[in-house]
Amino acid sequence: MRRTLLLVMMWVGAGPAWAGIPAEQDDCLGCHGGDPTMSMDLPSGEKLSTYVDPAVFGKSVHGEMLRCTDCHTEKTGYPHESKPFASKRDVQVAYYEQCKSCHFANYTKTLDGVHYAVMAKGNRKAALCVDCHGSHDIQRAAEPRTRISQTCATCHGEVFKIYASSVHGRDAAAGNQDVPVCTDCHKAHDILDPKNGALAAHTPEICGRCHTNEKMMAKYKLSTKVVDTYLKDFHGMSATLQRGKKVDRKNFAAVCTDCHGVHDIQKSSDPGSHTIQANLVQTCKKCHPGATKNFPDAWLSHYEPTPQKATLVWTIQLFYKLIIPFMVGGLVLQIALHLWRVVVNR
Amino acid sequence: MSTSAIGSTQFLVRFTVKQRIEHVITMVVFTVLCLTGLPQKFYGAMWAQKLVMLFGGIDAARWIHRACGWALALSTVAHFGSAIVTIAGHKTRLTMIPTKHDFDDAVATLKYYLGMRDHGPKYDRYDYKQKFEYWGLVVGNIIMVVTGFVLIYPTILARFLPGQLVPAAKMAHSNEGLMAFLIITIWHIYNAHLNPDVFPFDTTIFTGKISRERMEHEHPLELARLDGQPEQAGEVASPHGREVVG
Repeated sequence: MRRTLLLVMMWVGAGPAWAGIPAEQDDCLGCHGGDPTMSMDLPSGEKLSTYVDPAVFGKSVHGEMLRCTDCHTEKTGYPHESKPFASKRDVQVAYYEQCKSCHFANYTKTLDGVHYAVMAKGNRKAALCVDCHGSHDIQRAAEPRTRISQTCATCHGEVFKIYASSVHGRDAAAGNQDVPVCTDCHKAHDILDPKNGALAAHTPEICGRCHTNEKMMAKYKLSTKVVDTYLKDFHGMSATLQRGKKVDRKNFAAVCTDCHGVHDIQKSSDPGSHTIQANLVQTCKKCHPGATKNFPDAWLSHYEPTPQKATLVWTIQLFYKLIIPFMVGGLVLQIALHLWRVVVNR
Repeated sequence: MSTSAIGSTQFLVRFTVKQRIEHVITMVVFTVLCLTGLPQKFYGAMWAQKLVMLFGGIDAARWIHRACGWALALSTVAHFGSAIVTIAGHKTRLTMIPTKHDFDDAVATLKYYLGMRDHGPKYDRYDYKQKFEYWGLVVGNIIMVVTGFVLIYPTILARFLPGQLVPAAKMAHSNEGLMAFLIITIWHIYNAHLNPDVFPFDTTIFTGKISRERMEHEHPLELARLDGQPEQAGEVASPHGREVVG
């Protein structure tokens, strides 16, 4: 990939910006690459620019390898007829399927994504390939990584603002490569609908990808037992058993984000954190309306019971670790002795 | 107590209708509690997830579990309520109370199993194994009901008591439940079904009837009392077979 970029840069350095564009482009760019004001009027009243900046296209990832007709497949000669598009969005909706002839795997993934589902329901604002990637100016989406979140922010501006002030967002902006950007949790093409239980069901696994990574967590002095201890308790057990079934988001057991926050996650020592002692009762109350100041202690804060932490729980655990084998063993022994006596007597 | 004869075998009534109904209720409720409770303890296992699906998902399974928990709680209260009334009215002997005699019986039985005695001890209405199981169930029920209510209503508990009692209750509920399941599947199933003396099925708790022959071997002291011959208490009887008499 770097080599490709290097080549592009060499080409750019060596000649005119569109020097990398295949020769066949010249025919199209002869008309569409000249006048920046070239446009057509659409019935919607919008002006559709029909100008392509050869410099921009030349620098795009496709500049060297695609001809205009690879995407604009029906424009085979000159003069060509204009399709009867009603609006700019019509043009984008009509052309976005062109991507699939090369990018079939990612195209297929989008069919499972929430944007496609929303579009299928008739919301034509839902993102298409070109909305995130651009069209003639396509660049690598993840260079730099933070660019991904910027792209999502085009439509999801409010959420982005919240994310940007979270522990993840602040570190991402500072250039930290460990913290998640939007697509690390939501995925890029097969984005799950956060409103049904599907994303919630995957949340412990998503957070766990980083938060159980010993090497990464050691840098930040964070525990990697967070997922295990969560799964062992009531919420984690419920969430695990709800996974196979279609469950409404609001009826889904609490997952990581229900306590820690979603886009507004802060360090648990941060005064703004949902999980700092002072805010805990409020956080519990989201699901347990009757929660009072003792209630948060019902959750062992991701600690395993030890004689120091949760003495009572640890003692009960130890008691049963001893009594169960003792009881069961004793009874089995008595059964065995009885059977032996029966055999001897016969 | 009444006696009846079917064919040549003479039967005695050992359990009242109320006792038989109590057993059926406990049996059904206990089974459903195990089926809906154990998958929650072993939630990671494939069988647990399939079992939960069979009940229509964890929320449905949990609802059933709680309904059965309530039934268990109420049946326990009803059992002791009626026991208190009966005892207060002097209408019963305290046949289920463990005594020093039961401890001696247990030691004697083990000695007999090990060949250190020629025969087992003679039992009264309930032998030490039955008393152990009854009181085990009682103590288990109380633990399960109390901790179960803590788990259904954690916020109410935390209003008055430390929150740590919730995970403590969960630890106790989960382990006590497993222990009850193991004791019933191993000990009770052995004594009621697999034990060569009763194999394949001891029907007494369902029909209420027991043969005079079995009474002679298993509860001779009770039989002697019923026959008005408590002096027979000195005689020998084995807990499980005529062959070993003497």
